[in-house]
Amino acid sequence: MPTEVIMPKVDMDMERGTIIAWHVSEGEQVNAAAPLFDIETDKAAMEVESPASGTLHHIAVGEGEEAEIGHPVAWIYAEGEVVGEAPGKAAGEKAPTVPAAARAADRAAPPTGEESPLIEGESATMATDAGVRATPAARRLAQSFGVDLAALGGTGPRGRIQKRDVEAATRVDAPAPVADRAPAAKVQSVERLVFVHGFASDAGVWAQLVRRLGRDASADMLELPGHGKTPSEPIASFDELVLTMRRSFDELGLEEVHLVGHSLGAAVALALADQRPRAVRRLTLLAPAGLGPEINRPVIDGILSATQAASLAPWLKELVADRDLLSVSFVDAAAASRADPDVRTAQRAMADILFPDGVQAFDVTQQLNRIAVPTRIVFGKDDGIIPWRHALRAPGRVSLHLFEGMGHLPQVEKLDDVVALIKTRW
Amino acid sequence: MNAHATITAHEATRELSYAEAIREAMDIALSEDERVVLMGEDIGVYGGAFQVTGDLIHKYGEGRVLDTPISELGGAGVAVGAAMTGLRPIFEFQFSDFATLAMEQIVNQAAKVRYMLGGAVSVPVVMRFPAGSGTGAAAQHSQSLEAWLAHVPGLKVVQPSTPHDAKGLLLAALDDPDPVMIFEHKLLYKTKGTVPEGHYITPIGKAAVRREGSDLTIVATSIMVQKALEAANVLAAEGIAAEVIDLRTIRPIDRETVLASVRKTGRLITVYEGVKTLGIGAEVSAMVAESDAFDYLDAPIVRLGGAECPIPYNPVLEKAAVPQVDDVVAAARAVHAGRV
Repeated sequence: MPTEVIMPKVDMDMERGTIIAWHVSEGEQVNAAAPLFDIETDKAAMEVESPASGTLHHIAVGEGEEAEIGHPVAWIYAEGEVVGEAPGKAAGEKAPTVPAAARAADRAAPPTGEESPLIEGESATMATDAGVRATPAARRLAQSFGVDLAALGGTGPRGRIQKRDVEAATRVDAPAPVADRAPAAKVQSVERLVFVHGFASDAGVWAQLVRRLGRDASADMLELPGHGKTPSEPIASFDELVLTMRRSFDELGLEEVHLVGHSLGAAVALALADQRPRAVRRLTLLAPAGLGPEINRPVIDGILSATQAASLAPWLKELVADRDLLSVSFVDAAAASRADPDVRTAQRAMADILFPDGVQAFDVTQQLNRIAVPTRIVFGKDDGIIPWRHALRAPGRVSLHLFEGMGHLPQVEKLDDVVALIKTRW
Repeated sequence: MNAHATITAHEATRELSYAEAIREAMDIALSEDERVVLMGEDIGVYGGAFQVTGDLIHKYGEGRVLDTPISELGGAGVAVGAAMTGLRPIFEFQFSDFATLAMEQIVNQAAKVRYMLGGAVSVPVVMRFPAGSGTGAAAQHSQSLEAWLAHVPGLKVVQPSTPHDAKGLLLAALDDPDPVMIFEHKLLYKTKGTVPEGHYITPIGKAAVRREGSDLTIVATSIMVQKALEAANVLAAEGIAAEVIDLRTIRPIDRETVLASVRKTGRLITVYEGVKTLGIGAEVSAMVAESDAFDYLDAPIVRLGGAECPIPYNPVLEKAAVPQVDDVVAAARAVHAGRV
């Protein structure tokens, strides 16, 4: 069988794409992963790589023409394969799987712009791949290969992604060991992950998440001053904190960064994205600070005052919805990292600057409105530190992921979901 | 005489009908174990409503092959009591539909006595239920009520689909310390198959893979196993390799065999004659959905079961009310082609 070349789904709202140019002509040789054609969607133009090596035939969608996602646009024949008729009426019949009437209905009710972002956010919490329809087998395979489902076209009923679609994307005929992830790496490797932890925490809070992402080599951690191993540096304001952090960020010298921040670190990440728009390509904000005034200062004070695990544990438990979730070792590690009295003193000084009178004295909603970078906010409905409703101040294009039964530590409490969200392109 | 705990190899086999295989099992049990007695309406001189018991009364006499009065409740009660006090009764219902009359003895007594008496007494009774549609016997004599009894902890429920298993499961049931309900499809009585001579058992709680395949799994019970196998033949000609699992026991269900198959094929169809909703198919589907095998599903699960109506007398409608070979083929094609 020749390999089907389909119109890929390159962003979440995409239903159809226009082919701007073919890099390979009918009958010409093409290598797998070589540029095959350029497409344009409502939002972006991009180059699509060849899914296989061979000879290109039966170009069904010419330059300037558009096709629905998942619709075959050409076929690649392996060496020795006999080129016959364009394969399959069956394939051609896939086009109506998104009926024209349904598309019209979608367009008849465009987002009004007045809708609360909550509506989008709540639906987004239902599936980690936000709206992607895929079978369990396809999801399992995609996860093991690190394939982004949102970037695939589905050939199942109503565009559902089947196992075969993921296999086609990874160019394997049978499930292969996870280590063999070269094809998928193409999608992911250009992006570097940079993490920014929250107040009174440290880089160690990301360890489990990074391990699960399997990216030890390409993840960087930024630490706030006076946290973890980073020396204390007095700051007079949130802006100064951002400035300090921006220096650290610039020192990394990274481009194509996916910045992931938690709590205060999320506010910092947002400010960095605003100031470094070319370097930061995506932004994931976990329980972000800086979007509203309220914050649970007693818990902060409790954590700052604790000198040992016994007094720290009750306050740490306030961070999570399920108080049994925090292990003894988690608490011990947190206590150990705060054993140095100088650390506690420095953090208390920072708390008085950032959260005077139990109020978040800084506001990054302006930045959130301003930045163009794709942004996700993850909040737990049971967050006892920062009210999740602050997230409702986000503009409509920001995706909200609101989780029931989750507190202030998404990366610990909903590890699987956070891993899936970070892996998913949008 | 309950020493036959394992299946032993039998070189001597021959073709027997399903009914003959059951009769042979009862014959062997009667001759090997003096505690075994047969009880039921018209099983004596008449030989049973479906002639399964045949002439055993002449071989073993009225003391061991007992005609009971026309009271299922009374007959089942005597059988349960006899089992509690040391016998190994095999009680035959004329039609499984009449289990409704004996529910007190089956559900409240047989299933619970061992539990309620702290294990002091067990109820090793075997009950046989001629079941299913297809004989033009209309709504009150054609039902498939096996899921009713499978819902009761304390009972074991089996549905042999071949002469081999009809004999082996009956002998296994006699070895079991607890009540075992055997549902025999009436249309299977005349079907033939290879049956070993002598005593052997087919283990309760163990499904059989009747045909291996890699494209989809069909889990079937009783007569639907035959239909699934016929469907698999049709599908094979189209290049679709269906794996057919004969559940054989519906309580306790053989989880591992089903899950292993679904992990392999990624697609599941269940076929059973009982009413579709709240039936065996729902249990098998839920079992898969609740397990790690869920992650291997590449299509929604499809259930093929009986229509939501009493079994009609009209022969055309009677046939239409339960899954047929064509239905299995059509469902398998749709699942395989990704149309569901």
